[in-house]
Amino acid sequence: MTRNARVLLAVLIVALACVQDAQAAMSRGFNRLLDAVVRIDVREETFEAGARRFTGSIGSGVILSDDGLILTNAHVASPRAVELSVTLASLERVNATLVGWDHWTDLALLRLDLAEVKRRGLKFTHADFADSDKLYPGQTAYAVGTPYGLTRTVTRGVISNNRRYFADNRGVKGYETGLFNTWLQTDAAINPGNSGGPLVDEDGHVMGINSRGYLGAENLGFAIPANIARRIVEGLARDGSITRSYIGIVPGALLDLEGFYSLKQNTGLLINNVDPGSPAAKMGLRGGDIVLTINGAPVDGRFPEQLPPIQNLIASLPVGAPVKLSVKRGEQTAVYTLVTEKLESRQGEEWAFEKWGLTVRKVSRAYARENQLTDDTGLLVIGVQPGFPAAVAGLDRGNIITKINRQPITSLDAAKKAYAVFAEKPAPTLVEAQSDRQVSFYIFKP
Amino acid sequence: MKFFFRGGFICACLCLIGARAADFPALFKERVKCVVAVEFFTESELDRRPSVTTALVADTNGTLVLPPSAINAYVSPAKLKDFRVYLPGKPVVDYASAEYLGQDPLSGWHFVRVEQKFRASLVPVTAFAPKSTADEPALGEEFWGIGLRGKDEDFAPYFLASRISHLQSMPERTAIALSEVAAPGLPVFDHEGGFAGLAVGGFGQRFIEYSRNERGTPIMLLNIEESSVFQLASVVLPELARVPANVSGRPITWLGAYGLQPMDPEVATFLKLSNQSGCVVSEVLEGSPAEAAGLKDRDIILALDGQPLPRFKPDQVVLSYVERELNRRKPGDVLAMTVLRGGERLEIKATLAEQPKLIRETDRHYFDKLGFTVREFVYGDGVMRRVKRAAQKGVVVHFVKNSGPTGTAGLRTDDWIQEVDGVEVKTYADAVEKLTAIEADASRSEFVLLTSRNGETAVLRVKLK
Repeated sequence: MTRNARVLLAVLIVALACVQDAQAAMSRGFNRLLDAVVRIDVREETFEAGARRFTGSIGSGVILSDDGLILTNAHVASPRAVELSVTLASLERVNATLVGWDHWTDLALLRLDLAEVKRRGLKFTHADFADSDKLYPGQTAYAVGTPYGLTRTVTRGVISNNRRYFADNRGVKGYETGLFNTWLQTDAAINPGNSGGPLVDEDGHVMGINSRGYLGAENLGFAIPANIARRIVEGLARDGSITRSYIGIVPGALLDLEGFYSLKQNTGLLINNVDPGSPAAKMGLRGGDIVLTINGAPVDGRFPEQLPPIQNLIASLPVGAPVKLSVKRGEQTAVYTLVTEKLESRQGEEWAFEKWGLTVRKVSRAYARENQLTDDTGLLVIGVQPGFPAAVAGLDRGNIITKINRQPITSLDAAKKAYAVFAEKPAPTLVEAQSDRQVSFYIFKP
Repeated sequence: MKFFFRGGFICACLCLIGARAADFPALFKERVKCVVAVEFFTESELDRRPSVTTALVADTNGTLVLPPSAINAYVSPAKLKDFRVYLPGKPVVDYASAEYLGQDPLSGWHFVRVEQKFRASLVPVTAFAPKSTADEPALGEEFWGIGLRGKDEDFAPYFLASRISHLQSMPERTAIALSEVAAPGLPVFDHEGGFAGLAVGGFGQRFIEYSRNERGTPIMLLNIEESSVFQLASVVLPELARVPANVSGRPITWLGAYGLQPMDPEVATFLKLSNQSGCVVSEVLEGSPAEAAGLKDRDIILALDGQPLPRFKPDQVVLSYVERELNRRKPGDVLAMTVLRGGERLEIKATLAEQPKLIRETDRHYFDKLGFTVREFVYGDGVMRRVKRAAQKGVVVHFVKNSGPTGTAGLRTDDWIQEVDGVEVKTYADAVEKLTAIEADASRSEFVLLTSRNGETAVLRVKLK
């Protein structure tokens, strides 16, 4: 062996030793993380088929505290869940209950049945969040979860983009998602069942919660950033839900329209649409207006990625509080004071009227506005069972029931009352319903 | 009844038919003179699309009747060009030109008048009308009609025949034959060659499709070349004279009761209305005769001028019945309606008016460089978009060129343009003026539209350079 070769060998050995050291460090944090990742088996009710039915699904989750709080996706564990069964890293199964959910950020919080954990002497660890604002594209990321039921699967990739924007109006079981947050994009393989599991760094710190991937695409996965998840967890643990404010403006990216609107560079939020009947509409705001400041603070909505934080700023205001918008229209700038209202989903509560073979969803304020209905009276038919009175009468999915026996159906309770009368003493019942503005009458016969 | 179906009787019938069949070639040759093929072109911003249809000769002035479906209801008559009339079986190089006269609102038929050249070769179908149309054809009676081959076969006429299996009110009295009896829009004759009716299209037949991959999928097949359904001569003959006074087909009667829906028999029984039908009014339109008369949303119309709405099968036919009854009347006529509101019966008298301007009658302007066409915002646009008349403004996008600047910016057909360059567009003239100026300004690099689609507005930036 020549002298040169001997030096090289020495260097190589030192380098390898360093690498081994790093891996050893990684495995400590990482192993701890692996013990905090769980599989979640969900049994939930559905109302699509004209009857109350049950389906099962599998997701992932990560334990966040010693008192058994588990973070997962809202599309894994929703209020429709009737049974939540958690498989710990030790492969032991424990029941859990839903603490709260927030479909807007696709997050849900569960709590393990600690009494059972204690009784059976089970052990688990909990994970810690990373600071997701410090992530950078190219950084190594690991997805841990239960893809296709394959418990404790680890896949590796990088952070592909740390500030992806997309909103989906029906993304979480028909509920809206993505309006108030950006997403982490990763090429770590994410498959069905990974949902709710953590995306972690080499130390096992949670960078985000894996939520979705593009179907048919390769390695385009998306996770909710840890810093957003941390806030939502606090809110859900405290109140069981996240309350947001709404003023009714739909923003569009300004891109390079600044010249057209004679704005300074990086200034202003373009209003594309104003929701009819919303606080913004009541104050006379309209599409094409430019918001310059919100409560005195300048806003910059030049790029789509900048819109969720602005939306979140508005959403974070207290409900019923005044908010001052400085708005530019043409050459005029004026200040409008709006009073926020509570943000509501377009998806209303669902119910099954078994003897009618009918499942419905309450028409929400947002749904009524979106579909240009006169008001939010009525129940949207989401399923009918063949051979049952509703189907026999000719009612179908998409109809909106507005009256039963000439009484307006302004709430689900109103319909439940009418149903109770029918259930007790079955008699032909006159139902008024509309579909695409066409009004028809139907008779539910016992 | 059973007696008539005994073997001997049927045999006798068949012999009788056999004996008369010898007349067919002569009858056919003469009656082919009351049918023609018509070709015309629909002009759009970018192209001219040809259509071919059948037509019936209505009188000795060269008036031709085309089926309702021959022309798209949204097409402006000004865009219908170059009507050509071909004689069945004659070389297609020899054709006569014709003029479009408009659509009759009652029958839905389009009327066309052929130039002098061919008129001598044509015989109106009225020449074959029987003395009386009072008697309806009998079940099982045989009828025959004419079909036409395609243009590549010189529209050669051919013979079809079938027997009546069923008679029905749709609401017009209509015969349904066992099999195809004539091309849609062409006449049907009896054994003596008397005009018996006009074949109508649009009736499909249900089949199950089996294939290598499918275990049996229900499908509906619609024969567009031949039909087994014909309206009886008693319906057709009086309507042949309804040549529109102008190309718009006006006057067109208007009540303003929107979204009429039939009442099903179960509901009728529940409401203690036996042996009659009803029509639910979904919405009463703003500023309409119905509104002025006090008709309300969700009223159920039970009778018109004292005549209860008859029961039809299927229930939907009652809608065509009401529509026909309206179109039978003229603007200015008073229509008395009996309506059910809640549990109460009311008499309402509406003075019918002239239908507001229709989409096919709107002014429109194509901007070639910008790549789109705008048209006037009319009453119907307000109804579709639920916009009160006071809030109506702007123009509607009628056409967008795929790769043009506006198409690239995301503009779509039927978008409602409310502002151009941040300035509200009040009228059609206003919009055309603004857009013409933009198109003419070579230094322009962009312009901005505020549009509305499905009730949501959006700012669109159109790049011109």
